[in-house]
Amino acid sequence: MNGAQHILEAFHRHNISTVFGYPGGCIMPLYDALVDDVGVEHVLCRHEQACALAADGYARASGRLGVCIATSGPGATNLITGVANAHRDSIPMLVITGQVPSGLIGTDAFQETDVLGMTLGIVKHSYLVDDANALPAIMEEAIELAQSGRPGPVWIDIPKDLLLTEVADVPSLQPGPQQAECPDLSQALAMLRSARKPLLYSGGGVSLAHSEDSFRRFAESSALPAVVTLKGIGNPGKHNPYNLGMLGMHGSRAANKAVDECDLLLVIGARLDDRATGKLDGFAPNAKMIHIDADAAEINKLRPADLAIQGDLNAILNGLTETLQDKPLAISDWQKQCRTWHTTGGFQAADNEEPLAPITGPAFIRQLSRIAPDDTVIACDVGQHQMWVAQHYDFDHPRHHLTSGGLGTMGFGLPAAIGAQFADRNSTVINVTGDGSFMMNAQELATIRRYNLPVKLIVLDNQCLGMVRQQQELFYNNRESQINLDDNPDFVAMARAFDIPALHIERTDQIRRGIETIIAYNGPMLLHVAISREENVWPIVKPGASNREMIDETRRPSKASKEQVA
Amino acid sequence: MNPQSQPSIPSYTINCRMTQEAAALERLCQVVRIRGFRIATMAVETAGEHLDIALTLEGTRPIAMLQSQLEKLHTVAEVVLASGSVARSRLA
Repeated sequence: MNGAQHILEAFHRHNISTVFGYPGGCIMPLYDALVDDVGVEHVLCRHEQACALAADGYARASGRLGVCIATSGPGATNLITGVANAHRDSIPMLVITGQVPSGLIGTDAFQETDVLGMTLGIVKHSYLVDDANALPAIMEEAIELAQSGRPGPVWIDIPKDLLLTEVADVPSLQPGPQQAECPDLSQALAMLRSARKPLLYSGGGVSLAHSEDSFRRFAESSALPAVVTLKGIGNPGKHNPYNLGMLGMHGSRAANKAVDECDLLLVIGARLDDRATGKLDGFAPNAKMIHIDADAAEINKLRPADLAIQGDLNAILNGLTETLQDKPLAISDWQKQCRTWHTTGGFQAADNEEPLAPITGPAFIRQLSRIAPDDTVIACDVGQHQMWVAQHYDFDHPRHHLTSGGLGTMGFGLPAAIGAQFADRNSTVINVTGDGSFMMNAQELATIRRYNLPVKLIVLDNQCLGMVRQQQELFYNNRESQINLDDNPDFVAMARAFDIPALHIERTDQIRRGIETIIAYNGPMLLHVAISREENVWPIVKPGASNREMIDETRRPSKASKEQVA
Repeated sequence: MNPQSQPSIPSYTINCRMTQEAAALERLCQVVRIRGFRIATMAVETAGEHLDIALTLEGTRPIAMLQSQLEKLHTVAEVVLASGSVARSRLA
């Protein structure tokens, strides 16, 4: 068995059945081995960045390891954005690249780049294989490392000659993970019991730790008012009466108000990102903080915790649920207050009653949320539509919401939707995108067609880079700069060129039929939705400002003042 | 500019033991830089399969933050902050 065959053998041992890749010179021995392998489905994307983002989407939707493969040089450099995306959101990923033959490393050979050096900052760990006999141990370690603790991408760069070299040993399977012990929770319990206004603040760490069910039980049994980060959306469930939704820059007034007023913040699986906290000095000014996370380096990183608990979230959440079972928290006044804030200061977007009125992003997303099946996976891109989805779509599970949180990668949505569809061929997967983001990986329409994936594509087209335009309007004195996209291609014709049927809608009375049509269609379909160029995401906190300084639509500069400035 | 008016930058000595592997030192130096510290001196010794690295660092951010980030590196076995102020070990 040579190195290439061994890599496939390792895939089999670890039940890795789907990989995303693109062949090229130095990785050809692995592609040659794939010809004789029927157990691994290789998905050919049309750009290496999409391979990495599809592997990312696969991992997010399924909770399993995402795998992507590329050749040396440009193949590897094209992967980088997708791997950085996985790194920032702690997505378990294995990256395999071919490298020029061992003897040519350092000679500026054709398609040689220093992959190990240029990717150090975007991986959990990485290897440059220099001995074929080390490959089996490296494969085992890499697969385990990518998924353990705080997950992340692990990159193996392997010279072409070593892919062709006979490999001596195949290691035995490593023992499975030990049952995690629950740390002492007595102090946390005492702080919860003595708080009058405790607030649950959860993030993406909940699903990364596979603790969605434990979290849901704790949230329901404690009945704590709950706010979520962008990646924590879906954690409390859409039927939880105390779910206040997303906090932060584009969070609800209710969620930010609750953080401002609470006297105890119970942070679970979140890293207090600046988009969530706003200016740290003004964040939860009256609250003590309990910080629970799998990663010790996140604790005390940005705000000192009054109590830090590092460990396995499942064990901790189950422990907390048990300790609260005998005696519920006495916080009825606080619960009532939060419910009132949620009613008056939650995300509002009235349906437009005027059938011929133009479509607005929030109203469209609310309709989509009502019509789409409960287990629909929404893969977003980055921009205004991403925030409208976060604000107005009712998610009941965090794995139903795929969004590029840390890196904010335009072009994420379409390949991520492809990955999610491979994770479950029977689920409804919808890529909600904008006209800017869609064009960043539009070549993947060919991948959807090739595999006949029933991915639905919704392009909210405002003919501009809306989020940049919005910030230029609000924070740069209305000076628009390089945001105009009114020469976009005809997206309906473009989809049809890939043999994907498409519809165009532009009026409120067309929303329902448009959504129902694409969901009912047995195959991929694109819905092109024309929306207003002037629509903004509300509320908004100016970058670097405190969340108390949220700006509502009522404070938007008037049209007259915009014209004056212009 | 009057140099006397500039606040002094805290200095720390860290001893780090890590596995010898490709890019080991680059990995270490990159984390130090990204987390806001400057390397003033650096001494490296080989000890069997390990590298022992003594660093003098300057920076205004909390040194504990850097220490915890270095401890996250897969091939770092131990990070000890010298001067007896704080000493934590991954092996402990």
